[in-house]
Amino acid sequence: MGQMRRLLLGLLAYGWALQPVVAQQDAQPSAGPFFVALHFAGGTGLVAVGGGYRLAHQRLEPEVLVGYLPAKVAGRAAAVLTLKASYIPFSPRLGHSSWEVSPVAAGGWLSYTTGQQYFLTNNSAGRYRPGYYWWSSAVRVGAFVGPRLTRVGHPGTRHTPRQTLYAELGTNDLYLVSALTNHTLRLTDILTLGAGVKGSW
Amino acid sequence: MNSWYSCGCTLALTGLVGCSLVEYSPNQTHMPATERALTNQALQRLQAHPKGKSDTVRFVFVGDTQRFYDETEQFVASVNRQRNIDFVFVAGDISDFGLAREFRWVHERLQQLQVPYLTVVGNHDLVGNGRAIYQTAYGPLNYTFRYGGTKFICLDTNGREYSFGARVPDVPWLQQQLQDTTGSRHTVVISHVPPTDEDFDPALVPSYTAALRGCPRLVFHLSGHVHRFSAGKPFHDGVTYLTTYSLAKHRYHIISLWGQRQFRLETVTYGPDA
Repeated sequence: MGQMRRLLLGLLAYGWALQPVVAQQDAQPSAGPFFVALHFAGGTGLVAVGGGYRLAHQRLEPEVLVGYLPAKVAGRAAAVLTLKASYIPFSPRLGHSSWEVSPVAAGGWLSYTTGQQYFLTNNSAGRYRPGYYWWSSAVRVGAFVGPRLTRVGHPGTRHTPRQTLYAELGTNDLYLVSALTNHTLRLTDILTLGAGVKGSW
Repeated sequence: MNSWYSCGCTLALTGLVGCSLVEYSPNQTHMPATERALTNQALQRLQAHPKGKSDTVRFVFVGDTQRFYDETEQFVASVNRQRNIDFVFVAGDISDFGLAREFRWVHERLQQLQVPYLTVVGNHDLVGNGRAIYQTAYGPLNYTFRYGGTKFICLDTNGREYSFGARVPDVPWLQQQLQDTTGSRHTVVISHVPPTDEDFDPALVPSYTAALRGCPRLVFHLSGHVHRFSAGKPFHDGVTYLTTYSLAKHRYHIISLWGQRQFRLETVTYGPDA
C-alpha cells in the first residue's frame, strides 16, 4: 500500500501548501444555501439523487442521497441510502472568470442497502452466533478524494448560485481491509470511481 | 460541432462503463463476459483432455481462498510446479464478504493455474448478494461432472445461510445423483460445510449421511470450511469424510483416485514455510 500512502500524502501536502495562497476571494456566508445533487456510480447505486446544505463558509457539504440499484445490475432491485459529507479545503477562482477549480475535495460516506439478503449486523440476521460475521453486509462506510469544477453565478440577495461538476476516487471499508491484509492487492484494485453534479440557484 | 460533441460523449461513456473502477455497488452481480459461467468454462477445458474410464484421476484439493490473496498467488505458483494434475478444486468460501470484486480478485489469481479449477459454494460466498454473484461468476450451486471414471457431485451444504429449515442441502437431488451412475465407476461428493459441523442443517444430517451410506460406489466425502485437515468415519458407517486446509495454512492436498475405490492423499506445503 506504499503507492496509496504516497498518493494521499502528496494530495494532502499539495492542499496544505496551496491553502494560504488561494484564500477565497468573496466573503462567503457561514451557512447555506441548500443544494441538490445527482450522483453516478461510486458504490451508491447506478444513479442517486439528493441534496444537502452548505456549511463552514462553503467548505463543507453534508448531504443525503437515495440511490437506485436496478435488478439488471444487482440481480434484485435495491435502494442505497447514503449520508455523505464533502470537505472543500480550497477552491480558487480561475482568473476573473466565473469558474472555480478545487483539485482535492475529500470526504466520507455511510451507505445502507435495502433488501432482505443484507443484514445490518450478524445478530440481527438471527441465524448466527455473536461474532460469526464481524461486518455488516447492508452498511458500508467509505472515503473519497477528487476534483471539482464550479461555475459561480452572480451574487443574489442572499446566496451566490453555484453549479459543481465533480469526480470522486474512493474505496470502502471492506476493500480497505482486504488491501491492508494483502500486499498483492494494488491500489487500482480497491478504487471506485463516482461522479456527479450539484447545484444551488 | 454536434457530431464532435456526440462522439465525445459516446467515447466518455464507453470509457466509463468499460472501466472497472466504475462500480454501482460492491454487491453488484455484473461481471465481464469472460468472467461469467466459470464452472462451465472450466469443465469445457477439462473435457478437452478426456481420460479413459480406468485412468487415475489426480487433482489438487484445497478450501477457503477467502481474503488470502497473497497466499493464493503462492498456491498457484506451487501447483503450477506439480506434474500430472488434472484440475484444482476449491471447496468454497472463495470470497470473504460475498462481494463481486472479491470473486474477481480470486479468479484473477486462480486463472493463472495451468489446469482448470472448479469450486463449490461456501457460506461466505452466500453473504449479502453473494449467492447471485456466485451464480453469475461460477454457475449453479449444485452440479455434477464426470472425469475419467469418477462422478463428482458438488453441492451447497451451507444450511445456516438459509436459516436451516431442512431445504439445504437438497437431499432428494443428492440421492438422485448418487443413484445415477451411468458412465462412472465411483463417486465423490464435495461440499463446503461437512455434516459434522454446526453450520450444517442438523435436521438433514440423518438423511444426508444415510444417502451417502447407501452408495457403495462412494469413495469419500470432501469438505472445506474448518480450515484444517481431518479424516475419519465420524458416523461409524464406513463412509470416509475428509476436510482440507484453507489457503492461510500454506498447505494443500493432492488426491489420486483409481481402481474401485482406491485413493491416495498427498500433502504439499508451499510459501514461506516450505
